[in-house]
Amino acid sequence: MKAFFTLVFILLSSTTFASEQAEEIFAQLTPSLYQIKLIDKASGEKSSIGSGFQISNDGIIATNYHVISSYARHPEKYRIEYLDHQGKMAEVELVSVDVINDLALVKRQVEGEMPYFQLSDQKPTKGEKLFALGNPHDLGMIVVPGTYNGLKKESFNERIHFTGSINSGMSGGPVVNKSEKVVGINVATSGNQIGFLVPHDKLVKLFNDYNKEAPTDIKQQMAEQLLANQNKLMKVLLNNTWQSKELAGKAMIPIIEVPFIRCWGDSNADKTDALILAAIANCSLDENTYLSSHFFTGSVEIEFRYMQAKNLSDNKFYHLYQQQIARAGAGNRAGKNDVSEYQCHHDLVTPSSTANTNKEINNKSIFCTRAYKDFPGLFDVLYLGASVDKNQQALVSHFTIAGVSQENAMAFTGKFMEAVSWK
Amino acid sequence: MEVGMEVIQCTEDCITEIEPTKQIKNDDLSIEQGEIIIEEISRNHKLLHRHKLNRNEVSIGRNYHNDIILTDPHICPQHLSLKYSQGIWHLSDNNSVNGTLLENSLDKRQDAHQQVISDGDVIILGKSQLRILFSDHQVSDTIALSPFESLIDLIRHPIAVFINVALFMLIAGNISYLNQQVETNISQLFVSAFSMSLLFSLWPAGVALVSHLTKNEPRILAQFGISFVFFILMWFSDLLEQVVTFNSASNSALGLLITLLPILLAFSLFWLNSYIGFHMSAKRRFVVALSITALLFGGTYLLQYSKKREFNPHPNYNATIMAPVFLIAPSNSVDDFIKQSNGLFEQASKAALEKD
Repeated sequence: MKAFFTLVFILLSSTTFASEQAEEIFAQLTPSLYQIKLIDKASGEKSSIGSGFQISNDGIIATNYHVISSYARHPEKYRIEYLDHQGKMAEVELVSVDVINDLALVKRQVEGEMPYFQLSDQKPTKGEKLFALGNPHDLGMIVVPGTYNGLKKESFNERIHFTGSINSGMSGGPVVNKSEKVVGINVATSGNQIGFLVPHDKLVKLFNDYNKEAPTDIKQQMAEQLLANQNKLMKVLLNNTWQSKELAGKAMIPIIEVPFIRCWGDSNADKTDALILAAIANCSLDENTYLSSHFFTGSVEIEFRYMQAKNLSDNKFYHLYQQQIARAGAGNRAGKNDVSEYQCHHDLVTPSSTANTNKEINNKSIFCTRAYKDFPGLFDVLYLGASVDKNQQALVSHFTIAGVSQENAMAFTGKFMEAVSWK
Repeated sequence: MEVGMEVIQCTEDCITEIEPTKQIKNDDLSIEQGEIIIEEISRNHKLLHRHKLNRNEVSIGRNYHNDIILTDPHICPQHLSLKYSQGIWHLSDNNSVNGTLLENSLDKRQDAHQQVISDGDVIILGKSQLRILFSDHQVSDTIALSPFESLIDLIRHPIAVFINVALFMLIAGNISYLNQQVETNISQLFVSAFSMSLLFSLWPAGVALVSHLTKNEPRILAQFGISFVFFILMWFSDLLEQVVTFNSASNSALGLLITLLPILLAFSLFWLNSYIGFHMSAKRRFVVALSITALLFGGTYLLQYSKKREFNPHPNYNATIMAPVFLIAPSNSVDDFIKQSNGLFEQASKAALEKD
């Protein structure tokens, strides 16, 4: 089954223990640890909480983007506050974000010298003992020991696989090694002691970039990051030589062999009463970019479905087939304030690569796109091709890409359409 | 007779006795006897009864002595009388409780006490209406039987009706067969086709009932025949629309044109329904058919519009696909498709800029 990520917000707490070493680390680092709260201005109550840690003498605090995402999207509605170990509260200012790696920098006012976290200059080694710090469920600062298990294999944007409990509210907290240097930032969990961290070098880069030149507009900064990231992703996808693979022995479909796109298959061969035999292959990018609680982007989904009629008239087969393709939806969640409605175009298309060969396929092709309201030049696209040239067989080829430029979307669509054929 | 004379020894009675004496004086006129046609009509001027009387005096009222006996409780026992003298009919109200109104062809109502009646006038008494006509009343021109009549005669033939309903059931059965996700048997399909045709029968039955209630000839078979012919035609237009949308790209104008076909068919059906079931002028029939069509399609549109969500996160595309036998249009190339799809980005960007 698909690996399933939940942002650290939601999960329930489990027991933690602290060794002697952990105690020591905790005692030394706690003055630089903060709880980061997003306060709704109108009600005066907190709307989300996370953790953060100071990384400079002048009051720069690192946290997760998703902790302060509501503020980044609607700065007029919220303010950000910190709560330190002595219970002092004050407002902080959002100075920079890295939306792709889920990082944010906020700045507090400081009077005089302050202790702060050192960022590590090297990667941890596999099996190394690490300590995750944070404030789960508003229960107070805790320390969780765990193990470094390398980078998550199939991720496009690197994540550290950390074996240890990371819970809701610990988001944005630091993970340190024995020498108390930050090697990662708590970001996500998939339960059962599997946690994910943002590698420290992403934070180092963000911090250095900030020191060089502070961004003037957070939305603009996000737009640039999203655009750059989709360029990077689409470049890898488009430059990859797509392998042609058989589906159910009847159709040829493209498989993009990159580690971060994972494929799964299914069929209904065991269901004897089904009127249509179906074999499905779907491939997807196992990560997406969090923009707000109702707005995700960066996902890629590809699906192929081969169908064969069993004792059906052609008309009935096509009638049921139409019902199968009538409700393709977006691959990512987005709302009224985030995107426009979809605009669609459909036509009958025969790819030139298959024309006049025995592989020739004639598709009813549907292409839809919607534009991002806050990030001009980014679109969600959806393609659906349904073969209409065989009486008793059908091939559906479908993909969705979220947060992509027009140029990349069309290059991908063209390549994809040419790559699907009968065998 | 005697009892009646005694009861009506009031003032009105005296007048009636005087009048005939006047008439007797004019010998030449008394030879010419008055002839009058009195039509009892409903409020919307539909004929209920017609009386043709050859006499010089006509009494109207609820009393059984009257020449024309009306049952309306708002009418007096001796409500009014009409008298003929010197070639002219006069109306006189006998001090009735609710009075009498005379409405002439110019649509002017006036209180009628001693009024001259002309051809085509309507007397309003109580809640009833009487139209007075003389035998020289001009009748309208004969309407020639239209070619529709022979068509309708063909369609209303029981065998034709049976064939139409059977064809409709076959189509309904086929549609439910196509929509079944699991295997089905004939009896299930028959039941759904039968119930479908029963449901659709409500329309011609309803029209026939209304025309019966409005004192028109119901002509049930004709209504059934014509309605089912059109139901079948509408299914064909639906099929045609599917074939067109399947074969054309989203920017084709033909698709738009084809959506007008069902509207046209519905209008024709309503026009024929009213032609068969109701007597009305051509203009009125046109307006009625147009109004029902507008109500049906406008109502459907309004219903869809009201159901439309504020924001649709799902793409709304036309996924019509049909078996390869219906495929007639040539295919496009990927490059052309990409070129045409490129225009969508601009549209979407424009939509994203719109303030809601």
